[in-house]
Amino acid sequence: MSGFYEELAEILEVEPDQVTADLRLESTSWDSLAVVSTIALIDEQYDKAVNATALAACETVGDIERLIAARQTESEA
Amino acid sequence: MASSGQTARTSGSRIAGVVSCLPSRRIENEDFLDRFGDKVHEVVKMTGVRTRYWVEDGTTTSDLCAAAAERVLDRLGWERGSVDGIIFVSQTPDYRLPATSCVLQHRLGLRTGILAFDVSLGCSGYPYGLWMAMMMVQTGAAKRILLAVGDTSSIMNDADDRGTALLFGDAGTVTAIEATVPDADPAWFILGTDGQGADNLIVPGGAFRKREATGRLEGHPLDKLFMDGGEVFNFTLKAVPSLIRDTMAAAGEGVEDYDMFLLHQANAFMIRHLAKKAKLPPEKVPINIDRYGNTSSATLPLLMTTDRADALTTGDCRVALFGFGVGYSWAAASMRIGPLRCCETISL
Repeated sequence: MSGFYEELAEILEVEPDQVTADLRLESTSWDSLAVVSTIALIDEQYDKAVNATALAACETVGDIERLIAARQTESEA
Repeated sequence: MASSGQTARTSGSRIAGVVSCLPSRRIENEDFLDRFGDKVHEVVKMTGVRTRYWVEDGTTTSDLCAAAAERVLDRLGWERGSVDGIIFVSQTPDYRLPATSCVLQHRLGLRTGILAFDVSLGCSGYPYGLWMAMMMVQTGAAKRILLAVGDTSSIMNDADDRGTALLFGDAGTVTAIEATVPDADPAWFILGTDGQGADNLIVPGGAFRKREATGRLEGHPLDKLFMDGGEVFNFTLKAVPSLIRDTMAAAGEGVEDYDMFLLHQANAFMIRHLAKKAKLPPEKVPINIDRYGNTSSATLPLLMTTDRADALTTGDCRVALFGFGVGYSWAAASMRIGPLRCCETISL
């Protein structure tokens, strides 16, 4: 997920090395515009459309990753 | 059948001319700094809107459309009495009743006894309107139609919501459609709906359903526009790439056959993302949202008159148009357009 982390760092306006699964989104610039940017990023990198409401409810970067993984399992099923 | 929606084919009509009318009051991003501070720059990074035009108090969509209609009639040299119908596609009509198209029929001095009706659609309204007008010509109901399409979203903007306050602009357009030889190149349309998204882009108040300001609407003025940008973006990501693919398939054309792909100017980031995802060459996907904002139903004809007037007045272009959003509703058209006898932008 290194490419994903780098892009996410730009959206969250933090340094790339600050992005870990434990990073709390509320400590970054996570807002409605960041949510839309992240939807586009996930679509671009994983070809998956995650639910915007579910994404907005994420509290950590790990939550976002779990959402993507769940979406992948769902579409493979 | 295409998975994206209902597929339709019309023949025997064409676009003769298009005129867009903008209000003269230009609003700059700097005008929002007092209210939103530095957040303005973040919003602009996403939406790409630098300037937009808003009507003065008291001006409505039909005023803009009336000016556009006068110009298109003059340029084409169409006698007022030769027009057989007028369709008004908008979500900002003059009144709850009567239909604005009736008001326009009289105001423009068109014959009594012509057909006239309003259609309440936004982002998908232009391809939808083209389908209706071309179908009416094909059935023999009319030989000349004026299709008035536009919105004055600034009037229903929530000034405190930075997600929408900077995004929308106002514009009114009129497209003249005329009968041509029956076996001329057909036009193809795909039309679809998913009303599950109705609450994600809505002005809940002002009509006859009484809604409470609860849930996501809590604290939101009910007579102002509410938008869940994330959900709407999600919808476009799912719906639009397949709509583009299915439209080309219905028409039996490939990307290389088209001179231009006109995408609803929802926001610049979204247009670029969708174009990339659908593998459309950027030079065939004009963007004017930076100058005019998201003008709702008017974005596609406005894009024709501001950014493709030269091509459309001099050549015979193969054009694909895609409208998608509020409803959710979407509509696509694939047709040959040009050389148009008039394709211009005026201001009121």
